[in-house]
Amino acid sequence: MEQEVTTSVAESVAAEAVLNPAEDAVALEAAPQVKKRKPINQQKLQDNLWGWIFCVPLIIGTVWFVYVAFILAFLLSFTTYNGTGTSMPLMEAVAKMGTLIDPKQGPFIWYKELFTFKASTSQLYSRFATVEMWRYLFNTVFYMIGIPIGMILSMFFAVCMSRDIRGGNLFRVLYYLPCVASSIAIVFTFKILFKEKGVINEILGLTDFTQGNSDGFLWMAKAPDPGKTWKALLDNPDLKGEFYEDPYWCQGIITKCVIIVMSVWKGLGGTIILYVAGLSGVNAATKEAAQIDGANGWQIFWKVTMPDLYPVIFYNIVTSVIGGLQIYAEPELLMSTSQAADGFMTTSGYVALIYRYGVNRKQFGQGAAYGIFLALIIFVLTLFQFWLDSRNKD
Amino acid sequence: MENENVLNEEIVVAPEAEAEEKQQYSSLRYAWGAFVAFFGFSTRTHRASKQRAKLVQDIATYLVLLFGAFIMVYPFWWMLAGSLTSTEGADSSLLYTLIWWPERTPAGDGRSLFYNYQYFFNQALIPSNGVYLTYWRAVLNNLIYSIVPVVVGVITSASAAFSFAKIQWIGRNAVFFFLLAAVMIPGPSVMITQYVMYSDLNWQENGLVLIIPGMFGSIMTAFFIRQFLFGLPTSIIEAAKIDGAGYFRIFCQFILPLAMPAIMAQGLLSFMGCWNNYMGSFIMIPSQSEAINLPHAMFIVSTKLGENQGPNIAASVLCIIPVMILFACFQKLIIGSLMLTGSKE
Repeated sequence: MEQEVTTSVAESVAAEAVLNPAEDAVALEAAPQVKKRKPINQQKLQDNLWGWIFCVPLIIGTVWFVYVAFILAFLLSFTTYNGTGTSMPLMEAVAKMGTLIDPKQGPFIWYKELFTFKASTSQLYSRFATVEMWRYLFNTVFYMIGIPIGMILSMFFAVCMSRDIRGGNLFRVLYYLPCVASSIAIVFTFKILFKEKGVINEILGLTDFTQGNSDGFLWMAKAPDPGKTWKALLDNPDLKGEFYEDPYWCQGIITKCVIIVMSVWKGLGGTIILYVAGLSGVNAATKEAAQIDGANGWQIFWKVTMPDLYPVIFYNIVTSVIGGLQIYAEPELLMSTSQAADGFMTTSGYVALIYRYGVNRKQFGQGAAYGIFLALIIFVLTLFQFWLDSRNKD
Repeated sequence: MENENVLNEEIVVAPEAEAEEKQQYSSLRYAWGAFVAFFGFSTRTHRASKQRAKLVQDIATYLVLLFGAFIMVYPFWWMLAGSLTSTEGADSSLLYTLIWWPERTPAGDGRSLFYNYQYFFNQALIPSNGVYLTYWRAVLNNLIYSIVPVVVGVITSASAAFSFAKIQWIGRNAVFFFLLAAVMIPGPSVMITQYVMYSDLNWQENGLVLIIPGMFGSIMTAFFIRQFLFGLPTSIIEAAKIDGAGYFRIFCQFILPLAMPAIMAQGLLSFMGCWNNYMGSFIMIPSQSEAINLPHAMFIVSTKLGENQGPNIAASVLCIIPVMILFACFQKLIIGSLMLTGSKE
């Protein structure tokens, strides 16, 4: 520290030189004294030392909890490592990986299991042998219908808010409220809003809708006759076919819509803020020029505003697809008390599968394998989006 | 705007052919034109004034935005009304038909108006394995989980951000992109190994799992603070260095206060995330533990309440209120920070 004070002038020169490599060269040529080299090195040492020290916690955290965890998940996904009985510590399991591989099925046992047909243990589904994973994955993909709906709605509101009206800020705050609210509270609320005589049915005029023995449209129901809502909807009691017998498809589709409504409602505010920020960055001069050239509002929106907004929209799509694939809490909570084990498959996202096998049944290897498959899906989808993006630019 | 007006006047004044053409329209068409012009729409017969058009458009915008705001806020109103609904016994269906205000509040039955809240405080404990978890314990847990890791984590993130933004060291960019690449690894795919790690470390029963990992900071927080620090002049740091301050002192005395808006915004956002972190507690902490957080406790209680859903809604209101108050106080900061994200990308 004392040395620093005495050689402060040299240091400041050095620091500037470091910031500008071009000047660095000039400075070295202009003043090639050997004596002043030492403080420069001292400063560099300080920079390197403190640079690393400031980063160390973040580096340790990221490497340990993300990279190491990911590599271990990848390695363990080939084993039958589990937490039942006398469970091994993680590191021991990794060291003895070879002994944990299933001798009959080989290392890809869980990846094969992912694509295996099997009858469900749950009573409602026992008739339908399915690949469980496709059903969970389909739920996840089905919820993505909410992404374009949310985008269009939030774009509409964002355009409204970015007009020069008073109180635009207040609206932004109000629309953002659902984003800060706890999802469990929102699920509790929506569960009752969508009841047979609830607010939603009151608005839609479905409180007198009759299906079997219950009044009011059933949004979320454990239906002994799963097709009854559709039969009542289509006014045809003789409908046959797998769609009307499998609760996953008939009642399930209706229940999934509740989650779409909920996630659109909850996510709208964040996207609106993103778009309002993007809209404020759209070049006003270009807009005015287009106006003078006789373009109407609609044309200006599509030809001037949208291309300028493209990066924001692309960012939004990428993040919401990645986030959407990881949906977990909302569908699980929505179904938890009303349907117990039977209902989970109708709504739960893919992550529930990882939880169910990895954490609940303590088949760590299986859970890890399912997790790696999810990472693969997300990686491929993201690559695909960037490929589309690069193709659009040409 | 001015340009537009000039343009319009020109069109109106200039061609006389148009004036002749006007006479060809029927009177009905004229009436329609006048009617529509009143609402700010121009037709061939009448040209609406710009002010009128703006006024009408403003009113329409307000109507649309108010309608949207109503949809956004209504469920919260419903929650409030629901928490004041009488739901015990035969009244359980009152909540299911509630729209504006409960038909019968607990006060109507001779109980306290806030009966549902009291129910949650007094009776709905979680008896499991001899452990009695009170509501207040869950709230305390939640406070610890959302203050300690957030405060420490945001400081470690800020220190990393300072290092990435303002200090030149070998391998800086490589390390930064190495860390940023971690964002691509989805949380659920490392969930299982994390679960095993934490259970080996015995962090689950005592809740350390929701405290210690957060204290290492997060790369996204560091990324946003780094963007903010790029906007600060480097000359301040140079000056401090000349005056003999070490990097640690520079960080504590200059960077932390100067970057406070960004740090506060990121801290508040992650506080809200931790406060609402149902998944973390549900997956990592066993349900019979004393260390579960508030959303997890609410879930466990809700499975035991059956048809009497009133206390559930009351608990939801109580769970939302702290974040709402925080958001109301710091909305400018938070929304400003979010908007920065939007304009950066």
